[in-house]
Amino acid sequence: MMSLSRLMSRAPAPVFPAIGPGRQADVERLLSRSGLRAAATPRDAAILLVAGDIPGTAAAPLARVHDQIPRPRVTVSWGHDEPDAIAARIAEAWREVCAGGEGEGDRLPDEPPNKWKGVGPNGQGGKGMMGGVPYGRPMAMTGPDIRDGLQLDRYTARFGPFAPMLPPGLVLEVTLQGDVICDVTVETQPFAQPADADAPDLCAARMLRLLGLAGPADRATAGKKPRGVWMRGAVPGGLGSVDGAGDARDRLSRWLSGTPVTASVPDIPALLKGAEWSEAMLILASLPPSAILRACQTPEAA
Amino acid sequence: MIVLLALVVLGTLLVGTLFAAMLDRSHLSIVAFFARQRVETEAPDRLNRDLAPAWYLTLAGAGLSVVPFAPGLALIDSPVGIVIWGSCEALVIVTVFLHGWSPNAPFPLIGAYRYAAIGLPVMLPSMFVLIAAALPAESLSLIAIVESQREIWNVIRQPLGLPLFLIVALAMTLRGPMDYADAADIATGTSAEASGAGRALWQTARLAMLVSVSAIAATVFLGGPLGPLLPGPVWLWLKTAALMALIVLLGNRIARTTPSRMMWILWVVLLPLSFLHLLISGLVAL
Repeated sequence: MMSLSRLMSRAPAPVFPAIGPGRQADVERLLSRSGLRAAATPRDAAILLVAGDIPGTAAAPLARVHDQIPRPRVTVSWGHDEPDAIAARIAEAWREVCAGGEGEGDRLPDEPPNKWKGVGPNGQGGKGMMGGVPYGRPMAMTGPDIRDGLQLDRYTARFGPFAPMLPPGLVLEVTLQGDVICDVTVETQPFAQPADADAPDLCAARMLRLLGLAGPADRATAGKKPRGVWMRGAVPGGLGSVDGAGDARDRLSRWLSGTPVTASVPDIPALLKGAEWSEAMLILASLPPSAILRACQTPEAA
Repeated sequence: MIVLLALVVLGTLLVGTLFAAMLDRSHLSIVAFFARQRVETEAPDRLNRDLAPAWYLTLAGAGLSVVPFAPGLALIDSPVGIVIWGSCEALVIVTVFLHGWSPNAPFPLIGAYRYAAIGLPVMLPSMFVLIAAALPAESLSLIAIVESQREIWNVIRQPLGLPLFLIVALAMTLRGPMDYADAADIATGTSAEASGAGRALWQTARLAMLVSVSAIAATVFLGGPLGPLLPGPVWLWLKTAALMALIVLLGNRIARTTPSRMMWILWVVLLPLSFLHLLISGLVAL
């Protein structure tokens, strides 16, 4: 068994990052190193990397993310240490995880947010066959499709603040029909990031990851030329057009050639409404983090 | 003989999966995840959650069982080998859907529906490409298709066949440009809630399917076990390994477009292209 745990610890350490204010660029550069692997979901992680000071409003979501990581798990907090020191601490935490043991316990009680107990004589709680909130769990209700008016199920859910496909800190309340966004409101604005998060290589890498190119994205982050085929062409033309900054494909082209993009304040809900989920995530990744923050700070979006 | 062939099929699947994991550089991660906790979601479909990776592995094995390892020698010598493989392809869509359905969570379900929507138009060109390969052999048996390539391989006789089939292979193994089930924008989609051994088993099954689909491609387009000097199985293994490396490389390098645009490409470009391929192959075979 000794040899098995040593074999396991030679795998790249699976890290789920919870990125706080000002630390997006640091974390993205750290996780593109070999020996570390950015997990796309807490279920795929063993180590929770908490970078920076997470505001109190995000404490409860952070605890939920922590509890979603399978055991044994270890939390590594990144204050102001050098990246090399943090990489070494993560490697040590991964060896600890591979050696077995209990790891950290849950931060929140392991019970459903609502009891499996309804209202009424049969406990069903809902109204009729659809909609309502039976057992405290919101059910989909039909509504007109925003493209052709066909009556389809609508489902409302909150995404963020640590969703890996969204800017850190951003919380969106999204009403979906399938994966088409019918309605979207910004619940919490993203954490402020310094200008280094707008660096062309990091911005290009975020889009490349959504295009399924994790390897080329890591190369771009390391300052090398990303070796990918059809990188610009895979982004649909006309997606996420913003005054003065072209569409998502134009912005990716400029980032890939190393030119920074400055976008005026985009209207985020208007850009995302009617888009499919994958298009919406590409649109968000195609805007510099500073532009998204400014857009969410304007009174219309709040 | 049957026992020997069954052992060869199992051995190929095992060694091939290991080789695929090395190509993918995911072997250590998979080992590490077999030992980790498997987390329950709220009210999952437990039966299908456990069955989905098992089905995926079984389909990889079933697909490989019709592949001839030497001229005239397959574990299942079926007169309709191509059809057996075709049904494996179709059932992969059902399996991936069940994998996304079972955890009872939004991202896996979005991935499941996306894959089902993309899967249908991927299966259609696949069938036309495989039927085109059966035309010169005048048989649906994979053994006959190998025999028909004694003089010239199908990859040369039907130049569009292998490229079209590689797209199918990427979709069946959830890779790169065709990985609509487990994409990054939905936090690895159908696998978003999979953890521990369940996650590791799903990844293993995905790699096993890579072996199977590559072996079929090697049989249908590269003459399978045919080749000079070396024995038949060795030629099949070499060709399969080369195709596996090619599929992994394509998956790592080619960007994935949005699902709705891929739907357009599949229905409007690739489906007519596969019709054309079938027509040309039919005329050549006359």
